[in-house]
Amino acid sequence: MLMPEAAYHLGPELGRAVNRMDFFRLFKALAFHQQCQYFILSEVAGEDEGINLQHPHALHNLPESWLGKTNGRSVGSDDPSVLQSKRSTAPFSMDLQDHPSSLAGASGAQAAIGVPLHTLAAKRYCLLMFGDTEQPQHESLAVVALDATLIFQRYFEVILSLDSISGLNEREIQIVRWTSEGKTSAEIAIILGLSEHTVNSYIAAVLRKLHVVNRAQMVASALRSGLIT
Amino acid sequence: MNPDRTGHPLKILLVDDDPAEHLLLKRTLEKVDGPPIELDYVGDIDSAVECVKAGDIDIVFLDNRLVPNNDFRETAPQLREAGYVGPIGIISSDISGSYFQQFPDFGVDFRIGKDEIDRTAISFIISEYTRDQLSDNCAEDFS
Repeated sequence: MLMPEAAYHLGPELGRAVNRMDFFRLFKALAFHQQCQYFILSEVAGEDEGINLQHPHALHNLPESWLGKTNGRSVGSDDPSVLQSKRSTAPFSMDLQDHPSSLAGASGAQAAIGVPLHTLAAKRYCLLMFGDTEQPQHESLAVVALDATLIFQRYFEVILSLDSISGLNEREIQIVRWTSEGKTSAEIAIILGLSEHTVNSYIAAVLRKLHVVNRAQMVASALRSGLIT
Repeated sequence: MNPDRTGHPLKILLVDDDPAEHLLLKRTLEKVDGPPIELDYVGDIDSAVECVKAGDIDIVFLDNRLVPNNDFRETAPQLREAGYVGPIGIISSDISGSYFQQFPDFGVDFRIGKDEIDRTAISFIISEYTRDQLSDNCAEDFS
C-alpha cells in the first residue's frame, strides 16, 4: 500500500546521487514535501551530548545565525527533538509548541518529525525535520520514514561506507602517488583537472582509510603496504 | 580559499547566457546568512575563462547549456584547463539527464537545479566547498 507513494520525488535521482550535495538536495526535498523548511541529518550523540553539525557526515540546512559559531562543538544537547532521537528507534513527531526546540530557532516551526536511521555498521543516525506542518498521521509518517530510509541507505552506500572499505580506488592511488612526488593539492588539482576541494576530499578519505594523520604518514603507509610503488 | 581566512569577501562567478538568472541569483544571495558575498556575472565560457584566469573567484556556478556549447562536458574542462582549481557547480533547469552523473569526470564538483537554489542551498554550498577538510596536521608541508 505504501509503494505507490513511497519515494515519490526520488525516482532516478536517488540512483544518480553521487556526492554530499546530491544528498543535501534529496533530504531537503523530502523535508520540503512535509512542509518542513529545515532538516538535520546527524549521528545520534551519546548521553548528555548534543549533535555535531560540523561532522563530515552531517547534513543540514539550518542558518548559521541560529547556531552561532559552533567551532566544532555539539549543539542541541537539551533540545527535545535531539533527546527524543536518543530514546527512540521508531519514527516520531513532536508538537514544538509544547516542547520548544532550540535548534528550530527562529523558524517558528510548529512541529518536528524524526526518523531514526542506522548503518550496517550499527551506527545510529537521525533525520530531524522542522516546519509549519501539523504532526503527520501514522500512515504518512510511515511513508516519510520509508523515503528517509531509502535516501539514507544510498547515502551509506555512496558516502558513509567508504570509510570502512579497505584499499584505495584508482583516483585515490593517483593522488597519493602525486603527493609522494611532492605535489600540493592545488598542483594535483591542475594535473588531474579537478578542484582543490575534490583533491582534499580524496586525501581526507585516504587518511581515514589508512588510519594516518598527515600527508607524509599517508605516503609512508601507502608505500609500506604496497598501494603505491 | 576560506574567505574568512583570506580576508576578502567570497566571490561567486555566475556563467549563464540568460541575464535574468543573474538578477535572480543576486536576490537570493542577498538573503544568505554570513559574510558578504560578491557576485560576478559573464554570459559565455570564453569570458568565464578570462575571469578565472584573473583570479579571486572562489566558486563558479556554470549554466549547463551555454550557447553555442552543448553542455557542461564541453565547458567545465575549459575552466580547469585555464588552471582554475576552485569548485564548479553546474546549474540547470533540468538536471535529470543521465549524463549528469558523469560530472566528477569533467572536473565538476556539484550540480543543482535552478529551482532548488535558495538561501539554505547557497549556505550549504559555501560551507561545504570553502571549509578546510584537512586538519592543520595535514597542511601542505613541502611548499
